[in-house]
Amino acid sequence: MSLHVEVARPKGVAPRTAIPAAIVIAFVIVAIVVICAFFGGSIAPDSPFTQRLQVGDVPPSAEFLAGTDLLGRDVLSRVIHGAWTALVGPVVVAAGAFSIATVLGLLSGYLGGAVDSAVMRWVDFMLALPGPLVAIVVVGVVGGGYWTAVTVLVILFTAPDTRIVRSAVLEQRPRPYIDAARALGVSKTRILFIHILPNVLPIILAYVVLDFAFALVNLAGLSFLGLGVEPGTPDWGRMLFENRTILFTNPVALLLPATMVILTAVSMNLIGDWLFARFTRQ
Amino acid sequence: MTAPPMLMLRDLAISAAGRAITTGTSLDIARGETIAIVGESGSGKSLTAKAIARLLPPGVSATGRVTYDGIDLLALPEREMQQIRGRRLSLMLQDPFTMLNPLMKSGLHVAEMLRDRPEFRDRAALKAEVARRLTEVGITDPDVAERMPFQLSGGMSQRISLAAALARDPELLIADEPSTALDVTTQAEIIKLLKRVQQSRGMSLVLITHNLRLAFSTCDRIYVLYAGSLLEVGTARAVEADPFHPYTLGLLLSEPPADKRVPKLIAIRGKVPGADEVAGRCVFSDRCDWAMETCRVAAPVLAELAPDRLTACIRRTEIAAEMQALRGSALAASDPPTPPGSAIQPIVRTANLVKNFAGRHGRAVQALKGVSIELRPGESVGLVGESGSGKTTLGRTLVGLETPTSGKIEIGGRDASDFSAMTAVDRAATRRTIQMVFQDPYSTLNPRHSVRRSLSEAIGTIGRFSESEIDSRIAELLREVGLPEHYGTRRPSSLSGGERQRVAIARALSVNPKILVCDEPVSALDVSVQAQILNLFKRLQSELGLSYLFITHDLAVVRQIAERIYVLYLGEIVEHGPAEDVIGRPQHPYTKRLIDSIPR
Repeated sequence: MSLHVEVARPKGVAPRTAIPAAIVIAFVIVAIVVICAFFGGSIAPDSPFTQRLQVGDVPPSAEFLAGTDLLGRDVLSRVIHGAWTALVGPVVVAAGAFSIATVLGLLSGYLGGAVDSAVMRWVDFMLALPGPLVAIVVVGVVGGGYWTAVTVLVILFTAPDTRIVRSAVLEQRPRPYIDAARALGVSKTRILFIHILPNVLPIILAYVVLDFAFALVNLAGLSFLGLGVEPGTPDWGRMLFENRTILFTNPVALLLPATMVILTAVSMNLIGDWLFARFTRQ
Repeated sequence: MTAPPMLMLRDLAISAAGRAITTGTSLDIARGETIAIVGESGSGKSLTAKAIARLLPPGVSATGRVTYDGIDLLALPEREMQQIRGRRLSLMLQDPFTMLNPLMKSGLHVAEMLRDRPEFRDRAALKAEVARRLTEVGITDPDVAERMPFQLSGGMSQRISLAAALARDPELLIADEPSTALDVTTQAEIIKLLKRVQQSRGMSLVLITHNLRLAFSTCDRIYVLYAGSLLEVGTARAVEADPFHPYTLGLLLSEPPADKRVPKLIAIRGKVPGADEVAGRCVFSDRCDWAMETCRVAAPVLAELAPDRLTACIRRTEIAAEMQALRGSALAASDPPTPPGSAIQPIVRTANLVKNFAGRHGRAVQALKGVSIELRPGESVGLVGESGSGKTTLGRTLVGLETPTSGKIEIGGRDASDFSAMTAVDRAATRRTIQMVFQDPYSTLNPRHSVRRSLSEAIGTIGRFSESEIDSRIAELLREVGLPEHYGTRRPSSLSGGERQRVAIARALSVNPKILVCDEPVSALDVSVQAQILNLFKRLQSELGLSYLFITHDLAVVRQIAERIYVLYLGEIVEHGPAEDVIGRPQHPYTKRLIDSIPR
């Protein structure tokens, strides 16, 4: 049918809008975490493992900017080194979950039929499981600490991510450019990865960032319960657990890692939302 | 005009983020008068309507004066403006499917407007009034009021929204493309209905449309808007008889005539610009064959050349004779095309093609009910039908995008009923024989691929070529479809609708097909661009010896391109024959109805 499309918004009315201040701050926070994760050894004033049992837990001072914990370890150095587990696990979870989800979502959304049913029933099953509980049980029973937790989260996160990718694929599938490629005899693999994938990638990227934030909070939670990293490892969640008893002698030992978890997660959420809005507006 | 006009626009300028959308529109509407604002996409016609009702989207602002019975509407507080909307002037919008609240019964849309009147406090009285209002718009079945919008057809939805717009008995109705999204036969009904309601109520009507013929047949006076500027004003009869502005003439000639086949449509070159791209000169000068230096030094003003006739063309008196001559030459019809002799073997043949889709509650919906068509080499065949006729499904089954439920398809001597059952060699050969051009220019190209990439992928499907071979082939393809070579690096988002459609045609041509299935390839384009693309199709056919299956709802378009026509109605071919016969002497009642609904 002839549909006369009137463009209400003339093109280019809002060209490149300036990046909001909150997003700039979020990027700065994430950048600081990344720098700490990779160059912690050179930034941190002290080794995160050196114990000073005679010193014990002291509040912030000129020598220990964030004070020390029960074993006399420098809290600031531990927080800086803790950026590594706060970064690498969530990155693996987000990237791993979305790599699997992208393949499953593309196949399920494009091929439909039996493949779609099989994938979606598996997704339904995974979504019916209480995620955090499964993680606690599996890591508690299997053991293996941090990387087991990361693996479990990858599998748990894959299910909702598959749904996201699939719905984005379903949106692209009926478009004429896909039909044109099919009519030309372009192979299925090419259509999936050369035509559809680049068009759903922006949405995927936005959700990858959100996955990172969820994974960070989940891993910190598991560490707090003693199911993540090995005892002694500098890790924000672990520090919350270890330092909860010295809240009144050195509150910074507890508040600093807690703040870092919150700031990093919120920053990633903001960046994810902003990316999503940017991509979907195009 | 003796009485002061009811609605008066003076220098109404609309802008968004500092960019002009319209520049100083002035128009008058008398009580009981019907005017048309005619313009292509981007002319600012819809926003002008919204500015009158003060319903501009956020970020878009209007300056100037809009006076309604002496009241300055633009200066009115929002609370008082609410009293004007609906009661004094009412707005009816284009898309019937998004205009109604999907969660409200259709009758409620009308009742909502009547609720605040004391005489309709009583439920029964309100219900009776709703029924009476629906009868006015031609809905006599009382059940319709109880239906949800998704259960209504497009025409029915449009009637409901008309009833809702009329519920507060406005003195002025602004109808923005009220029939454009509808089927041709429904379009004619809605326009007739609008006209009847307008006359019986003595209401004023502003019809906003891109269709000049429709405007001539329905309205008293015409305002031609282009790139945000009024170019011509006059009574419908006078403008139709002798357009003063080259743009109006171009628009008129671009529209394919339904009553005859012309050798070549007279198209306006180029594409519709934005108002800010052509500021400070005649907005049409870039596309005008008569433009001279004087047209480009300043923006011309609307000047009264004859009583009630205004034009913004400063060269009108000099070029009047030439314009007349051009119009005269366009009236010449070409000889009816001679269909290739029936002795030639068809290149496409379908026999009893049936296609069922899974419908609701497991019931199958029959899209095609045993369709048999033939297409001979070098022939161009029109497939005419409205939405739901199965015409798109037929096209898609031919290129292997759908597999028919039963029946046979033969393409180039190969059995192509089921593409997945063919050998890889046969399938590839069939795909090199038949290609498709799609309707929507905005999603026919992958938005993330450059023109070059889209074309080189298509070329790559027929074999391995070196970079330089691909480059020269792309250059050749772009030249064939009338695009400059440097367009290869462009992305779809930087192309206009017509340019995108040209690229899509180039993509289909890249495998050297013998047949093109064209599914409404021009229906989403502006009239002036539509003529260019139709001419391109004609030229390509004679240069490359292509066969076309031209799928369209538009008889005037098909008349220009096709030698034979199949009329498809609810999945069945109800009539076929040479184009001249089918359009000139239709036999089937449905074909007759299609032809009657062409505005003239």
